[in-house]
Amino acid sequence: MFRKGKSGMTRLTRRATVLAAVLALAMLPAGCGSGGGSLPASGSGSQTKAPYKIGAVLSLTGPYAGLGNPEKETLDLEVAAINAAGGVNGHPIELVVEDDGTDTGKATAAAAKLIDQENVIAIVGATGTGQTMAIQGEVDRAGTPVLSIAGGNAITAKIDPNIFQMPWPNRLVAPFVMKYMQSRGVKKVALLTDASGYGKDGLAVIQPELAQLGMTSVANETFNPGDTDMTAQLTKIKSAKPDAILLWAAGSEAATILKNRAQLGITIPVYGGSGQARMEFVQGAGAAADGFTFGTGKVLLPESFGDAPNRKTAEDFAARYQQKYGKVPNIFTAHAYDAIHITAEALKRVPGDATPKALRDEIEKTSGFVGLDGTFTFSSADHNGLTENDLVMYRVQDGKWVLAK
Amino acid sequence: MGSREVSWELLQFGVAGLKNGAIYALVALGFTIVYASTNVINFAQGEFYMLGGMFATFVFAHLGLPLGLAAVAAVVATAATAVVFELLAVRPRVGGDPMTIIIVTVGGSVLLRSLARHAFGSDELALPAFSQGGSIMVGGAAIDRQTLWVWGIAALAVAALWVLYTRTRLGRAMRATAVDGEAARLVGIDTRLLVTVSFGLAAVLGAVAGLVVTPLTQTAYDVGAAIGLKGFAAAILGGLGNPVAAVVGGIVLGLLESLSVAFISSTYKDAIALAVLLLVLFLRPSGLLGRTRREKV
Repeated sequence: MFRKGKSGMTRLTRRATVLAAVLALAMLPAGCGSGGGSLPASGSGSQTKAPYKIGAVLSLTGPYAGLGNPEKETLDLEVAAINAAGGVNGHPIELVVEDDGTDTGKATAAAAKLIDQENVIAIVGATGTGQTMAIQGEVDRAGTPVLSIAGGNAITAKIDPNIFQMPWPNRLVAPFVMKYMQSRGVKKVALLTDASGYGKDGLAVIQPELAQLGMTSVANETFNPGDTDMTAQLTKIKSAKPDAILLWAAGSEAATILKNRAQLGITIPVYGGSGQARMEFVQGAGAAADGFTFGTGKVLLPESFGDAPNRKTAEDFAARYQQKYGKVPNIFTAHAYDAIHITAEALKRVPGDATPKALRDEIEKTSGFVGLDGTFTFSSADHNGLTENDLVMYRVQDGKWVLAK
Repeated sequence: MGSREVSWELLQFGVAGLKNGAIYALVALGFTIVYASTNVINFAQGEFYMLGGMFATFVFAHLGLPLGLAAVAAVVATAATAVVFELLAVRPRVGGDPMTIIIVTVGGSVLLRSLARHAFGSDELALPAFSQGGSIMVGGAAIDRQTLWVWGIAALAVAALWVLYTRTRLGRAMRATAVDGEAARLVGIDTRLLVTVSFGLAAVLGAVAGLVVTPLTQTAYDVGAAIGLKGFAAAILGGLGNPVAAVVGGIVLGLLESLSVAFISSTYKDAIALAVLLLVLFLRPSGLLGRTRREKV
């Protein structure tokens, strides 16, 4: 294979130099946006006190970039709004954003930098479950509170005193969706989950819950991120003759599955969860998504909050986000909104100058916080603070989501 | 379950396997063509697949061209990108240590992915199906229309490649270079030009695969790595450097995966496919159809 390999020392070094340059160039765009995207305190005269530094570990590049970038936009927007309104007890907030590149190692390094060099009093993030778990060691060492915007069960299944979670974990959403399926008379379920973290996390919740609800699984199929065809799995499911398919997945493969289902002429109803609460999914699946039913938070359709005050909060944020960025917010922006505002509210309650420890204690006392993901009440035994009351079922209809009756 | 049911299922698994297999075959051909002219694996091959889909969605959605023209524009743009990459990064190193070129292609893959993310964003992009209408039923199995497009375009690409290789001077020069680059150069073949041509051709095949699949799967800046791995496995399975082997390797790999789902488990389908690949390499180190040529001393 390498029979042409013959090289003099000088040619070798010259080539090595050129190669290094090419690689450096290749790394350059990936590195953009990393490093300190720090937002200086925008002054409104009255702010004289030293700023409170809040760090953020976000996936601005790598596979979760589609989540991390709207999260950063939200944090920028909300920190500016909080500062324009006078900051927190006269202290402006200074946001320090680090990109973890959807990499657990980089997330750990980013958290260490925020804690040791930037002396932040809280960290928003990480975008992903794996990255959140990776920064656990650093924040526990320093006692810095973390407001995670990732959905994995593991984050708050076992309580870490410093880690709080904004999104609805699978242990909340999956049983909620399954109870709805039960109410529709579903007994035999075909499970279709992605083999990555999100699907596995959900499957671990779904399987014991099936027995609780008197349902059985007649098929249990998985697929890998990046798979381009799921007709083989659906063929197996079709033969098993289930009453419904429960799809638990986070990536773009969900749209492929619904298209494959339509192509095979399968009419078995499909249910899903927060992984499909993205407009890209509805657009990608097109007409094949019609009738797909899924459960997640109420923020997708603010009117589903009814008379609750969350509705106004959600509509107000959506209007400001749309004005600034010219696009509709998604559920990831909601997680980031709740994280920064829960931090700011808790900071206001800290008497005197805040420390990470005092802030952590105040965050844990959060009660009845009106957010976009729902109404949060934390305790030492519950670091997610949401209930099934914060969830609702949607159905896709004509390329939009409507409330499922 | 009756025997009729079992047979439609088998047919359906076969359809799924042949569809994925056709895509793997196109990507594998890209690997093989570059390997034939340079003796290196082009690790940017998966990115050509990504660029085909991304350019097509971009041209279709933002420039408003009809789907057919958008597809042609995407293939041309991807080929142009590949040729520019070859001229700037690969050509200065042709004839040197193949390992250097391999690493350049790894760098190129990272570069193209990053550029695509900055140019097109990080969300999935969709493309409408090439023709409307429901699936076609054959013996109880459903074949959707886009799958027919996948097969048709793959067959067309393979046929065009066959004509190029057997009926044109350029193709004969490429085959001669594949057999022995030094000898080809001595009889006056411009082997440097052939390397450029092979990158362009590989990009055309990758782009075609990427854009014909996009209506089924959507596309995004990061889809290249996974499909690159599958195409690479298919090329190795068949036997590197031989176009017929690349097609056979792709189809065998696709069928292996879908039959693994059918008879074993969807969780292990990739593992089973890779295990078979390792087994084949153990028994036949040069692939299913590879030449077992002894190095002369």
